Amino acid sequence: MSNFTFLNPFAVLDEPGTYMGDFFSNNFAKKAQAGNVILNLGPQHPSTHGVLRVIVELYGEYVLRSEPILGYLHRSHEKMAEHKTAYGFLPNMGRVDYLNAIGWNWAYTAACEQLAGIEPPERAEYLRVIAAELNRIASHLVWWGAFVLDLGAFTPILYAFDDREWICDILQRVTGSRLTMNYFRFGGVGADGDDRFFSLIREFIPLMRERLKMYKALVTDNVILRRRLEGIGPMDADLCLRYGATGPLVRAAGVPRDVRKSVPYGIYDRFDYNIPVSPVNDNFGRYWVRMEEISESLKIVEQAVERIPPGKIIVDKAPKPAWKLPPGESVYSVEGARGEICVHVISDGGKSPYRVKLRAPGFSNLSVFAEAAQGTILADAIAILGSLDLVIPEIDR
Amino acid sequence: MRGRRDSKMISAIWDNLKGLYSLLVGMWVTGRYFFQPTKTVHYPRQTVDPEDLAAYRGPLELTRGKDDESKTRCISCQMCAKGCPGNCITIVKGKEGKSPSTWLYDYTLCCLCGACVEVCPTAAIDFSHRLYLVSVTREELVLDLLADLQKRVAAGPLKPKALPEAAADKPAAAPRAQDAGGPEPAAGKGEG
Amino acid sequence: MEISGISILSLVTIIVACLLVIALMVVNALVMVYVERKGSGFIQRRPGPYEVGPWGTIQAACDAMKLLAKELFVPANVDFFLYFLAPVLAFLPVLALFIPIPFGPFLTTLKVPDGVVLILAFAGFGLLANLLAGYASNNKYGILGAGRAVSQGVAYEIPMILALLAVVFQTGSMNLSEIVEAQGSAPWRWNFLCQPIAFFIYLVTLVAETNRAPFDLPEGESELTAGFHTEYSGMGFALFFLAEYANMLLVSFVCATFFLGGYKGPILDGFWWTFIKAYAVMWFIVWIRWTFPRVRFDQLLNINWKWLLPLSILNLWITAVVIKIV
Repeated sequence: MSNFTFLNPFAVLDEPGTYMGDFFSNNFAKKAQAGNVILNLGPQHPSTHGVLRVIVELYGEYVLRSEPILGYLHRSHEKMAEHKTAYGFLPNMGRVDYLNAIGWNWAYTAACEQLAGIEPPERAEYLRVIAAELNRIASHLVWWGAFVLDLGAFTPILYAFDDREWICDILQRVTGSRLTMNYFRFGGVGADGDDRFFSLIREFIPLMRERLKMYKALVTDNVILRRRLEGIGPMDADLCLRYGATGPLVRAAGVPRDVRKSVPYGIYDRFDYNIPVSPVNDNFGRYWVRMEEISESLKIVEQAVERIPPGKIIVDKAPKPAWKLPPGESVYSVEGARGEICVHVISDGGKSPYRVKLRAPGFSNLSVFAEAAQGTILADAIAILGSLDLVIPEIDR
Repeated sequence: MRGRRDSKMISAIWDNLKGLYSLLVGMWVTGRYFFQPTKTVHYPRQTVDPEDLAAYRGPLELTRGKDDESKTRCISCQMCAKGCPGNCITIVKGKEGKSPSTWLYDYTLCCLCGACVEVCPTAAIDFSHRLYLVSVTREELVLDLLADLQKRVAAGPLKPKALPEAAADKPAAAPRAQDAGGPEPAAGKGEG
Repeated sequence: MEISGISILSLVTIIVACLLVIALMVVNALVMVYVERKGSGFIQRRPGPYEVGPWGTIQAACDAMKLLAKELFVPANVDFFLYFLAPVLAFLPVLALFIPIPFGPFLTTLKVPDGVVLILAFAGFGLLANLLAGYASNNKYGILGAGRAVSQGVAYEIPMILALLAVVFQTGSMNLSEIVEAQGSAPWRWNFLCQPIAFFIYLVTLVAETNRAPFDLPEGESELTAGFHTEYSGMGFALFFLAEYANMLLVSFVCATFFLGGYKGPILDGFWWTFIKAYAVMWFIVWIRWTFPRVRFDQLLNINWKWLLPLSILNLWITAVVIKIV
């Protein structure tokens, strides 16, 4: 219910505390200057990508303050882990971040493997890399489409989904599903790739490279987009460090931090690829980093498909659903599409893990928003929000 | 990488002219795609290539018995029911022998993780490729897999696994597959 | 027989023409909704409307029926009078704007001597409607959208006038029929070749004036949900929709008249040429909507005040000098 009346639209804010919003808006309104508009972006807003709610204080169109409010999609994944077996929690991983299911699969599986001392076989490692990189491309494609949609262009998202269909089809060959994939198992992967899986990938890589050229012509080189992005929302390394932002954000800020390179996990040290680091830390830098990451991921997939050895895909005597984690704790970080995914598993040797902490990169990335959006125009704030590549289920968990 | 905005007038004008050219390039791209065939699959008229559904995880089904096809291989060991994260499987052991008398599967609770399929000692369960399962009530999604097995066995011998209606529409799907150079998107999902 | 200078005959003509124009607007809206959906669909490699009628042709009519049948939802604390006045005000003035348009050599409602002035004067009403809609609907997005609509509309009207004025200078008349007559039948004798800058400026401003992407800031979806018509549903929304397409039609007709030779064509002069040209311009508007991202608001105003306005003044000045010399 709003007190926003026709006669004096700004009367509400003359007396702080009389604003009839919920707790968050009330709290936010207390610090508002008289005459400013307090606007709720979300939880049902076209550009907040789900149920994120951002309260902003506007002076004209300038954003003076903003505050993201979370919890509209909280599904208590971490609590669920304490009631399920270690194996039973695996399918949850595909649901934490629906765009980057494989990244989460990897983080949780590897954390448990580390705890139990299981080494996955060679072929499984390659399959993991292929799946993870394809999933990263798919995630970046959706981000690209949605981000450009935020900037007002409708068509690119459908082109992005067109290419993503390929990846969905490829990953469906091994994971069995298209979105909430549950592919990794303790000690390997769930299914082996057949001939069609590999031939699809070989077909897809040159096609995607062609499409990237089209993306560049249609969107990246477009003058309107360039002017919308360049110089907007600078986030330097210091800001990223303070909020713990990771992934493309920190790489756009000039820090070559990528878990795949800096703390190589799996078999990432065997491939030849670059970590794109942008010289500019604005929206366009982040855009550029992600677009470059698509082509770098294509490189990794290409090499992995060439080199994949025959063999087992899962260790003998792989853990069964009733498997109990040995006591102890382990932390494992992987590079997800949005940043550093970290899973901390603590086990007391019981039926289910004692505690599973999921470190979602989106959560830290989102916290940068309030500071980055300060003083920008509303449209730019939306662009900054889009450039963070938020997936709300992951943030709320 | 970034065009620096100069204060000089000439370069500003030049920048804008280049910008206008980039707009023309964008229009050329969309204009070209305008004349290219669509990539969506019209579900009731066209269906996805069954080859693409070969690994698709639909609701569970019981595999056919080795000797007697209409008999399940299930030995009611409850491994799947115990391992299921969603508790969607209910198996009641029959009076005689090991074979179950009831095999209920609640598809609304299933997360298609595959724990049951992997853990089954007799390979009695497998994922079906039923993409087009529709129901209007929750009760309809509690599937009686034993009855389902009988129905399938009555319908015909083993293979092809794929849906008959999906196979029937292959000629309509073929030209688009050629154009796309690859797989069919599933039922135009996410492209409407 | 005359009533204050207007003959009864012309009065009857005007009334008949207004009715025809209303019919044209409605039909145009239906056609354009279909063209836009189908066009955007093909650009995005999907079929667009498909199920309703053959090739989805009656989809737009069905949507119109749905909007008619919908509940008129009025949010709390709106200014009731202005809230309902705004959609009507958006829709009605467009009728007057079609009076001086020469659809064909004889198919002109009224050959108004100062037709340009009439069009530009009434074009401002749409702006007022947007302002009132945003203002009256007790919504913060609405208010922001209304503010944007006004500053955008006012700003872009100036280069639009100046661009049209260049053609008026060249022709020496403000009568739209005479402007068409001054252009030849062959495409190279149309005004867009001797007034390329004015044509370009007009193309940019017509997109901005009709609030279409990439200048659709008053309703910028990703920022303001729906801008000034956020709180409108049912028929109120339908009227805004209708007005948008009517405005598109109008600016396209003006474009055809001023720059593309109106009803004159290489083969056979007639009203069909006007329609073909106008719809070509409309297709251009649709095409760029589905291609470009939206500009930012300050950029929008910068484009206007820093580039289009000086350019249009320069163009006007050059036109004047050239006319004086020649």
